[in-house]
Amino acid sequence: MRLRIWGARGSIPAPGPRTARYGGNTSCVQVTLSDGSVLVLDAGSGIRDLGPACDGVERIHILLTHLHLDHIQGLLFFAPFFRPETEIVIWGPRAPGRSLRDRIGRYLSAPLSPIEIRSLPAKVSFRQCPPDEWRIGPARIRAAPVRHRGPTLGFRITDADSSLCYLPDHEPALGVPLAELEPDWISGFALAERCSLLLHDCQYADEEYSERVGWGHSRVSDALVFARRSAADHVLLFHHDPLHTDSDLDQLHVRAGERWAALGGAPDALAMATEGAEVDVRADGARHTNGAAAPRAGQAGR
Amino acid sequence: MSEKGGLAIATEQKPIELILARSLLDSLSTPGCLIDLDGTVVYYNEAVGKLAGIAFEETGPMPASEWGDTFGPFDEKGRYIPFDEHPLTLAVRAGRAGHFVQRFRSANGDHFEVAVSAIPLVGTTGFEGALVFFWPARGQ
Repeated sequence: MRLRIWGARGSIPAPGPRTARYGGNTSCVQVTLSDGSVLVLDAGSGIRDLGPACDGVERIHILLTHLHLDHIQGLLFFAPFFRPETEIVIWGPRAPGRSLRDRIGRYLSAPLSPIEIRSLPAKVSFRQCPPDEWRIGPARIRAAPVRHRGPTLGFRITDADSSLCYLPDHEPALGVPLAELEPDWISGFALAERCSLLLHDCQYADEEYSERVGWGHSRVSDALVFARRSAADHVLLFHHDPLHTDSDLDQLHVRAGERWAALGGAPDALAMATEGAEVDVRADGARHTNGAAAPRAGQAGR
Repeated sequence: MSEKGGLAIATEQKPIELILARSLLDSLSTPGCLIDLDGTVVYYNEAVGKLAGIAFEETGPMPASEWGDTFGPFDEKGRYIPFDEHPLTLAVRAGRAGHFVQRFRSANGDHFEVAVSAIPLVGTTGFEGALVFFWPARGQ
């Protein structure tokens, strides 16, 4: 299984020179399975750049964790929607009342959009994620509700011997002592347990969190405790705050590395997600082929 | 399939509805407990611990029958009301909230009357359990 990050930012795109290294596009991760099948995790603004890379792909599965704008705003700009020969299956969370199609249709319709879903040339279908595991190609997919604002899923994707857990918007420590809580009471724990690679929300620096408790995102130290408790082999910190510049993220990176080491984590098992990073997810360890580095000492304050 | 990548997940996750409800209970001084689909008292907060005379950390999760043997509920004549016959169990299983005044016995043997409200927890995939609150009975 191989993944490429097309957007690692949270909340709203943050383009410009101050965010160029980590990237400004919102959440979008391409997962290429062992048989070449393509899954797309979330459809933030990063999905626009993914579009051309999907030339010739006949069937694409888009798995949406939830329908906040930063996870769907790129849908209309995903080139495969405009290819009649392409089949696109959009998976998303269940919610009371309206269907997934109707809920997404509130965004892909007037006055917010010039194009309606029914006008898209591709063959588009919508499916609510089942509560039980299901298969896409060679992969087994498991979705479970996790702590965020509104109906939100986390995903675990298992292909052969490797597994990826994706929890981009997650606040498992809200109101609970995460370090001591029994594992079965920790939101997202079973999805992440002993996975090969965990992508986890790290939106806030620890000192920022007190003003943002309950907003649905994690401070870095909680993300690290969650990762250690779930015994994930490798961790990519994801969903960067739009206010965090490259320099801020470098500092977060160093401090996260120190905290990670204090928790007993291996130095090469933690990295910051960066736009453009490619990772081979293997049972014997995730390998970054570009763009995502493990924490390095001495970067703080650059 | 190897254990590492093969979804060999050892932990059976609590439903998110129960996880969120537990957090709510932890932040309340109102006594409250959580009962899962199987009728197990999977959690009660510190305020219930004070009422019952024993903390959750000491008892851990308890099947409702075990809870009943220890704490009740009992009717006005002191007879134990079986969990499956209790009006609140019947209400919650029917998807309704219920309210009932009944007698309990604390861990140190004291009997006391308390009002109980039970609310079914119904998630996007169906019934997950009940949230139960305890209030002072009339005149207390």
